[in-house]
Amino acid sequence: MRGALHAEWTKLRTVPSTWWLLFAVSALTWALGAVTTGTVSTDQCPSPDECHEDTVKLSLTGIWLGQAAVAAFGVLAMSSEYGTGTIHSTLTAVPGRGRVLAAKATVVTGATLAAGTVAVLGSLLVGRLILPGNGFSSTPLSLSEGPALRAAVGTVLYLGLIAQLSLGVAAVVRDTAGAITTVLGLLYALPALVELVGDEKWQERIHEWAPASAGLAVQATKNLEGLPIGPWSGLAVMGAWAGAGLLAGATVFKLRDA
Amino acid sequence: MQATIEIQELRKQFGQTVAVDGLSFTVRPGQVTGFVGPNGAGKSTTMRMLLGLDAPDSGQALIGGRRYATLRRPLTEVGALLDAAAVHPSRRGRDHLLWLAHSHGFPASRVDELLERVGLASAGRRRAGNYSLGMRQRLGIAAALLGDPPVLVLDEPVNGLDPEGIRWIRGFLRGLAREGRAVLVSSHLMSELEDSADHLVVVGRGRLIADTSVAELLAAASGERVSLRTSARTDAMRLLAREGATVAADGPQSLTVSGLATERIVELLTTGGVPFSEIGAHRATLEEAYMELTRDAAEFRTVEAGADTAPGAEAATATANEAEGTRS
Amino acid sequence: MTAPTITPYRSELPPARDGFPQLLHAEWTKLRTVRRWSLTLLAGVVITVLVSLLSAFSGSSSVSGDRSAPPVGPHGGVVSDSFPFVHQPLSGDGSITARVSPLTGREGRAPEPWAKAGLVIKESTKAGSPYAAVMITPGHGVRLQSDFTHDTAGGTVDRDRPHWLRLTRSGDEFTAYESADGSTWAKAGTTRVAGLPETVQAGLFVATPEETMVQRQFGSTSVGGRPARVTAAFAHVTVDGGQGAWPQDTVGGGVGGGLKGTPDSATEKSGTWTLTGSGDVAPYTPDVDIAQQSLAGAQIGLIPLVALGVLFITAEYRRGMILTTLTASPRRGRVLVAKAVVLAGVTFVAGLVGATLSFLLSEPELRDRMPNPLFHPDVALTDAPVLRAVVGTAVLLAAVAVLALALGAILRNTAVAVTLMVVALVLPLVLLSGLPLDAAQWVMRLTPLAGFAVQRTLPDYEHVDAVCMPENGCYPQGPWEGLSVLCAWAVVLLGVAVWRLRRRDA
Repeated sequence: MRGALHAEWTKLRTVPSTWWLLFAVSALTWALGAVTTGTVSTDQCPSPDECHEDTVKLSLTGIWLGQAAVAAFGVLAMSSEYGTGTIHSTLTAVPGRGRVLAAKATVVTGATLAAGTVAVLGSLLVGRLILPGNGFSSTPLSLSEGPALRAAVGTVLYLGLIAQLSLGVAAVVRDTAGAITTVLGLLYALPALVELVGDEKWQERIHEWAPASAGLAVQATKNLEGLPIGPWSGLAVMGAWAGAGLLAGATVFKLRDA
Repeated sequence: MQATIEIQELRKQFGQTVAVDGLSFTVRPGQVTGFVGPNGAGKSTTMRMLLGLDAPDSGQALIGGRRYATLRRPLTEVGALLDAAAVHPSRRGRDHLLWLAHSHGFPASRVDELLERVGLASAGRRRAGNYSLGMRQRLGIAAALLGDPPVLVLDEPVNGLDPEGIRWIRGFLRGLAREGRAVLVSSHLMSELEDSADHLVVVGRGRLIADTSVAELLAAASGERVSLRTSARTDAMRLLAREGATVAADGPQSLTVSGLATERIVELLTTGGVPFSEIGAHRATLEEAYMELTRDAAEFRTVEAGADTAPGAEAATATANEAEGTRS
Repeated sequence: MTAPTITPYRSELPPARDGFPQLLHAEWTKLRTVRRWSLTLLAGVVITVLVSLLSAFSGSSSVSGDRSAPPVGPHGGVVSDSFPFVHQPLSGDGSITARVSPLTGREGRAPEPWAKAGLVIKESTKAGSPYAAVMITPGHGVRLQSDFTHDTAGGTVDRDRPHWLRLTRSGDEFTAYESADGSTWAKAGTTRVAGLPETVQAGLFVATPEETMVQRQFGSTSVGGRPARVTAAFAHVTVDGGQGAWPQDTVGGGVGGGLKGTPDSATEKSGTWTLTGSGDVAPYTPDVDIAQQSLAGAQIGLIPLVALGVLFITAEYRRGMILTTLTASPRRGRVLVAKAVVLAGVTFVAGLVGATLSFLLSEPELRDRMPNPLFHPDVALTDAPVLRAVVGTAVLLAAVAVLALALGAILRNTAVAVTLMVVALVLPLVLLSGLPLDAAQWVMRLTPLAGFAVQRTLPDYEHVDAVCMPENGCYPQGPWEGLSVLCAWAVVLLGVAVWRLRRRDA
């Protein structure tokens, strides 16, 4: 297994696109975070102190954009092997297909978690710098509070799960365009449905089951009782999606000819 | 319109690397012209510039006196095969030719005619992704012939073919040339062109090394050399070298000698008591001639150094094998 | 060297053709011979229809039972027509004049900018009947309005001082005059009201739209409305050609889902009438654009079309087939344009099928599930705004596909191009409600998303303040304007792609 891990890591780090995508995870997250924290205002609140804005969640909004780079990263780690035919060399070097996929998942998740940590900490820092200028000075962002820490750690884990889901889908679909479209559909189209359906029951149902909206419930630090799904249970739903994706990927990977 | 290819002072640089460096040559109709050089010599780049895919930094590549980009019906003037793998895998072979045909307003019957001609009639309805490399080469040649052009440009068409396929394509190319077409075929292996090319353009590091007919090249390469077989190779070499000859060992029992006339060699060996047999004028192979020509090309220095003790035929074989290894 | 004389080869094939139609034919053959692409196109249609159906059939079917018919204006649209009406019959040509005091709101509150007080000549006291009216408004000066939908601006009004108004009838033509002092009069405008009888009702009115309150905080929006009330005094009222007596009536009975304000009233004291009203005289604008909502599926259905558009060019680069394409047609710009035309044509047809099916299947259901369906126009596919929305949806899907093609040609990378397109077009749906209104509206105005404005079918009236929330599908620009923004994106990016393709080595 160590050999397989090392091989996968070498494969990953020697492709320039890996570094570009991991950089994009942070850059995109920070950029959108800066936009949302920069444009929010206390105008709608009775007074700045009574503004019960979830500033942690607000600062982490950028994940909605950053996860696209994670999805591309996870998909490409698998689909590019089929596109270039490298998969044949991979399977001759490490014939155990389960091991190949496990090693790939480990390496891709590890890289994503590292990039995600940078993205999340940077976003919180951006929020901490920008928000006081917009009137949110009473509650500086700090990771020492339980909910804030949960949001930060949960978001990093969320990104890792997105990478696994993408990898799994790519192992099933094999083709870059098909896999990336499927993953983006799951991540963006499902939550977008909330805006399109009229019924509140349906909206709640989608919130609870769509991977992105359920998983990102972990970012909430205020008004938890008003959420359709709790923070950790939301992340668990995302975990189930990732697990299902990987399982489907592993099954297809093992049963189908490469 | 003259069915010729003219390359004039062509130059192309990628970053710091000069891929093609002031190359000039002409391809005449009615001949198969081999375009030979090691990998990275600039053959493909030259062909890409000829076909308007890359823009030359200076100089020009003309087909019938015109730049490719100005051709209105290019498929009827030049047929090209660049990369046989360049087919969408989920498109049927026949459909690949069909869209090409449609771009020039040819009917579908022309496509079927060509599939028949290249021997893919029965495979035309299969998806190109399931084709073997040889079938893709045939498909690519069919595409090149679609417009029945007087000029053909084929990049490594023999690559990946089985012996049967190689024989087929050699005959096919000669037939096309006999009809009066100008055929330019690139290869990194001289042996592939042995029986098909009439004329050779040899390049190395983007420069022209030779532009000559095959007959002339062979005559020049054979030169004033003598081949002989002997069971006492070392003695013979020492003896002849002392008399000022240049001696090269071709094999365990054979030598190639230059710088001495046949009669003098016979005399020396007889008086020296060295046994020998089968002495005669040396007939160079195309590969030997090629090695001779490219001896100075930098790409070959490492190979030459490694094969110092056995220059000539062995070195050429080594090069060929190595080159093949990198391609497959 | 003595080369033998060789006759160059001459082809005996019939001459080839090299026109743009041949290029289109070639690209069409390319597109239709990859089965996966046909399936992708089909997926675009199916997803569009399914999401539309989901949005229609998931709506709450809370039938409140109150299905009373709303008043309908002379042009057939639902209208608000509810005001205290002090009037007298006017036969033939004539005029009505009065000095109108500034409007005051309830309990000293500022009146709505579109609150109205003035003179009206109306067919009858029946709600929805034709009329012409001249009025002062707190926010928009003197206006001449007729038959709910017509509005002409007059001069400005001093906020603190009364203003003189006069409305004259001459056959079907109505002319409004205004004056600050009652002696120097200026014409405010003319309008025609067709089909009025000889005897009409001329009188005084006050009206006001509802007060709307918008609560918009990160992630949640609530729009609330409550009836407003305005009061104005009318002095020196004269009707030239009138009949003396002043009957009082209340036109309509409150409109807009049956909300009731304080009772309207009119009192007279020494020749000065004081009117208090809480209804409005304006076209009714529903919060939900049903036809637009029935086409909502296109927002998700575009995803497969984006993938198709990107792949149509990047697949050629992946396989090296671009070399064959460019040797077959060395004029590169034309190749890309031919690709765009074929792709646009195909996605337009697919989009048209998807949009038509979506509308036909979802619209009746959506309307039926509204609290009172009668307040929503009963529209057909052939109505001009609906036709515009349905065909516009097809055009917008085609433009999105071309945009994807252009981006694919520029980036030459499938994954990046697909990701950029999907994120740019779908992520705003999720996040717009969280952005401040200004920022959200700029996104909808300038990004390719603007194209979805073409799905709006409800008219926008300048004289009706509507709450325009991005999350409710309201766009800050008109339908054509929005579609042009998207098409401009597609054309500009295609231009960049053509330029790059011609400049760069293949």
